[in-house]
Amino acid sequence: MTWELFWRIVLVGVVAAFAIMSVLVTVLGARDIGKLLKGLKEDEEE
Amino acid sequence: MITGVLSPEELTQKAFERTNFGKVDAVIVVVYLLLSLCIGLMVKRYAGSMENYIGAGRKIGPWLGVATMTGTELGLVTVMYSAQKGFTGGFAAFHIAVIAGVATLFVGLTGFIVGPLRRMKVLTIPEYYETRFNKPIRVLGGILLVFAGVLNMGLFLKVGSMFIVGVTGIASDGEALKWVMVGLLVLVLIYTTLGGMISVILTDYVQFVVLSFGLLIGTGLAVWKLGWSKIFDGTRQVLGESGFDPTIAEGGFGWSYVFWMIITAGLIGSAVWPTAVSRALTMESEKAVRKQYCWSSISFAVRFLFPYFWGICALVFIHFHPIGQDMKLLFFPVDESVEPLSNLYAMPMVMARILPPVLLGIVTAGMIAAFMSTHDSYFLTWSSVITQDIVAPLRKKEFSTKARVRLTRFCIVLMGGYVLYWSVFYQGREDIWDYMAVTGGIYFTGAFVVLMLGVYWKRTSSLGALLGLCSGLLMLFGLEPIQKAVGLKYQDEQGEWIEILSSPQIGLITVGIAIVLTVLGSLIRPDKPKEVKA
Repeated sequence: MTWELFWRIVLVGVVAAFAIMSVLVTVLGARDIGKLLKGLKEDEEE
Repeated sequence: MITGVLSPEELTQKAFERTNFGKVDAVIVVVYLLLSLCIGLMVKRYAGSMENYIGAGRKIGPWLGVATMTGTELGLVTVMYSAQKGFTGGFAAFHIAVIAGVATLFVGLTGFIVGPLRRMKVLTIPEYYETRFNKPIRVLGGILLVFAGVLNMGLFLKVGSMFIVGVTGIASDGEALKWVMVGLLVLVLIYTTLGGMISVILTDYVQFVVLSFGLLIGTGLAVWKLGWSKIFDGTRQVLGESGFDPTIAEGGFGWSYVFWMIITAGLIGSAVWPTAVSRALTMESEKAVRKQYCWSSISFAVRFLFPYFWGICALVFIHFHPIGQDMKLLFFPVDESVEPLSNLYAMPMVMARILPPVLLGIVTAGMIAAFMSTHDSYFLTWSSVITQDIVAPLRKKEFSTKARVRLTRFCIVLMGGYVLYWSVFYQGREDIWDYMAVTGGIYFTGAFVVLMLGVYWKRTSSLGALLGLCSGLLMLFGLEPIQKAVGLKYQDEQGEWIEILSSPQIGLITVGIAIVLTVLGSLIRPDKPKEVKA
């Protein structure tokens, strides 16, 4: 395998993985924000 | 024909003005910045306690953790220097991205350093030094950390401004740029001082969403405009095999560079650098930390890989695309008496021509957000170290939570003033990458060894830790003026500069010396049994 072919595979693989991760983090990260704010609010009320 | 009429300065100005950045893009940027400010104001009421202010109450879930880790580490400074690396080194630079990703995955799978730190429930690395060793080591570690860290971020504002100049076409010597920098800094200071870590994490999430999709679409557009094969063929035409093979020293890398990257971009970047570690220590559990690191391994690769690729696209665009031909004269002047334009400008200038309006505004907003998130994280990290690890341990009287938050806020504002002074008024040397690597190395070469041995070798003693931390000062020999002064770099009879030891070699030697001194110090003077706390 040449370096050029290796970097082509790395580039495509990392970009694809990042695209999937971006969708997951966007959706599930919003859920985590909800939990965080809820937890902080509860602490504030105690 | 035009070049015969216009001066180099006029050519440069004309090239800067050929940007797709318009009013609609400016509106997108302003709306985004106002949104960040609103978040800071909204979460202010939660930032009352020190644990909430610098640790967000340790309530961060794994997915939000990935977003904030990415938001912090994908800073504009990283983007700019990485693009420069891709521009000069081609695809060979990709090895750094691969190393960063694999090392972060390794930390996630094994919990290397960060797992034990989270279990000990410390909020900062110097706090660990006191728990493991003693108070003087904590204070020394804090001082070294702040000294290196504050010096390290001194040029961030300047580099950020170079991106804004490249994308928007604002005259680099004009007053407008200074006011843009002042405005951005004030905005960061307001929401960081008000909301602390909570607002930093929420704005990091927004930045992640904006920047990740902007990067993906922008990269797709660059490939579409230049052509997938042309990018590789063009790189080979300009850089040859060294544009692909990182082991070729003539291409600017070589084996010592690769090994140095395994330590710096790999293990240190993920497990020792305080801004990354401070995120890990705010997570709700060790399990969440490890999950965060496993997913963030993609981000740690991406934060280098995307900018490298954009730098490579800029190189190919300037050499082979018809619209980029005017820039070729600026970056690669035929006349040797003409000073080439700093290649830091290459990526933003090319981006400003490739990306269409609106998308350019979104990506610019994301990049400015990246610029701001790095600033806010660094401000918060260094100022909390000053409060928690230097001032508080040295005080004999009670140090209330309110006073700690107030001092942290004061330090943030003080650092803001320093960064502004450094960037606007100080005319430093242009070779900023070396400066950053060396200043960062003052802290991380010693801290890496002390943390690693402190966590995994029970016999590490306070004297060993002291010697290990201080050995990081040897990194100062990586600075070019000091290298010249002590004869590590000299001119031969033909006037060529000869470097006896490169910065990566000095870094590797420093790490080696730190290991030897830490082990020797620990063996010579072990801590008394009652002093061993972990």
